[in-house]
Amino acid sequence: MESSRFAQLCVRHRTALVCLLAVLTVITAEGVRWARAKRAATTPTTVGVVTHGAARLTEISNSFIPMPRDVPSAHASALTTLPGDRMLAFWWAGDRESAPNVKVYAARWQDGKWGQPWEVASRASLGKALGFGVRRIGNPVAWTAHDGRIHLYVVATGMGGWAASRLVHLVSNDQGASFAVRRLLPMSPLFNTSVLVRTSPVGLVDGGWWLPVYFEIGIKYPMLMSFDADGDPSWMARIGSRISTLQPTVVPVSKTEIRAWMRDASDEQRVQQAYSRDGGASWEDLPALDLPNQSTSLAAIRLRNGEFLMLHNHVEGDATSRSILRLSISANGRTWRPFVDIASGDAGDEFSYPTMQQVGNELHIAYTYQRRAIAHHRYRITLGDNH
Amino acid sequence: MTLPDLASQFVYGRLAWAAVAAAVLFALLPLLRSASLSRRARSALLAGIAALFLLPGAASPAYWLTLAFQYPSGLLFGCCVLKLRQHWDGQDDVAPVMTPPLAAALALTGLVLYLDAMGLLTQGYYYAGFGPTAAPMLAVLGAIGCAVALVRGHARAQAGALLTTILLFTLLRLPTGNLWDALLDPLLWGWAVVTLAVNAVRNRVRTPATTAPEPVAGLAAELQSLNSLSPLGATAMEHSSTIKE
Repeated sequence: MESSRFAQLCVRHRTALVCLLAVLTVITAEGVRWARAKRAATTPTTVGVVTHGAARLTEISNSFIPMPRDVPSAHASALTTLPGDRMLAFWWAGDRESAPNVKVYAARWQDGKWGQPWEVASRASLGKALGFGVRRIGNPVAWTAHDGRIHLYVVATGMGGWAASRLVHLVSNDQGASFAVRRLLPMSPLFNTSVLVRTSPVGLVDGGWWLPVYFEIGIKYPMLMSFDADGDPSWMARIGSRISTLQPTVVPVSKTEIRAWMRDASDEQRVQQAYSRDGGASWEDLPALDLPNQSTSLAAIRLRNGEFLMLHNHVEGDATSRSILRLSISANGRTWRPFVDIASGDAGDEFSYPTMQQVGNELHIAYTYQRRAIAHHRYRITLGDNH
Repeated sequence: MTLPDLASQFVYGRLAWAAVAAAVLFALLPLLRSASLSRRARSALLAGIAALFLLPGAASPAYWLTLAFQYPSGLLFGCCVLKLRQHWDGQDDVAPVMTPPLAAALALTGLVLYLDAMGLLTQGYYYAGFGPTAAPMLAVLGAIGCAVALVRGHARAQAGALLTTILLFTLLRLPTGNLWDALLDPLLWGWAVVTLAVNAVRNRVRTPATTAPEPVAGLAAELQSLNSLSPLGATAMEHSSTIKE
């Protein structure tokens, strides 16, 4: 009897000791992590307004980025700059959207021309690296970090359509020649699905960047994921409270003022916008712009004269939702005027999913051409009275 | 935001999905009228499942389960291990792993979290699961609560599973680096909701025998009055009927 009570007491003491150790472990580990956490607010890099006067564009060239052999369909290009006025383009190509042979390809812009494309990611390569299957490959988005590494984000779906999308983060240490999977980004508690990328990241003063992302499963809303200089995610925020906007293109105006324009999936069919006053931590919706948007992707940047450029699909007359690709310009981000039509065709033609990068005094524009190729236009930007 | 490395997620995925699959299989065995498996047969079955899930690449069911559902939460992993232990000890009906308080807490938390993730709320609760302050604080408080429950002997199995989940999250950031993903996933949420629903139905079936029905309005009241034409109700009518008099 006594020995039984003693044994019970021993078990209870042992349990208490194990619990105490477990709690101390949790407190120590979380305490250390808490003390090391970076809490400094991230500050976006902004374009310093150093030149006044109107912007002018002069077309230098237009061409197609070379396609891989025997691949009839291409879509969703992304550009990232490299040192020395070079660039990398990424896009997906295959038999058709969602086809099993769709892969992400890259090509290098160097010495004024595009090199031959190479394969960057496929279902097989991602599945092997992740340790689980990938059903289909989607939009790529790239960012060149201050340390020269290239970070590539690729949409890879699980079971289902695009609503089952997840984001794979790949990194290249050799200027894009090869990429290694870093991780699958955790973006949602719903089997980590329905989050995609499309638009260009935004640089931060501390060497990090913002990755615009969006949720899409019937309801659609835009988000922002912030990365530190090492490429590790640091925080996330939702952009506005609308549930029918996606593919945010984010443009910092100052250290605190950020603007975002979005593709519209509502019946309003206008370019939607949101505004942050606290460096992207919180966002408020603004009324839609007076620019048509029949659920098509767009891109925006700010020039050194303070004006904004937006690439978007315009709709007028017999034009269909993606048959005119227009570059519009604005001094304040609210009222826009047509600047130049980059591509225009018959009803049913498709010039869509634009992206643009300013490299030196050149503006590079890439977009999907009839779902068959990626077109590239190069313009010289002249600001003010400089010729 | 500290995220786990891919290698630890890979190992976790294989082990956790093996435990979930084994728990589901053992739960289904009684339906297949094979409940009386010997201990040796159960050992062989468990070893077979473990071997199957540790197969490389697409040969492992974990490869496909992770494709569809990503990683099970730490708590689902823990609850499945508890279920397996109950099966192993032949104590399936002794005490449920998913107790009503645990089920209610998971169902409510999941409802809010998933409405937020679907965009119907705009509070960003999921993002807070990565946060540098609130998430660690919640993990510490949860660990202390579990330790107290274990020492006092309250819901020891569930408290042990939860404490292990928190330790797994704290030390290795598994399964995803987000505290919510450690505590909850849609499958565990579904288990909790089904448990609550089954309990509600059982209580509803038991209630009429022990308590008087509450007055209700409208068509439901009429149906209830028709139902009250039970032998007892009929007797009461007989005594007050003027026709008989």
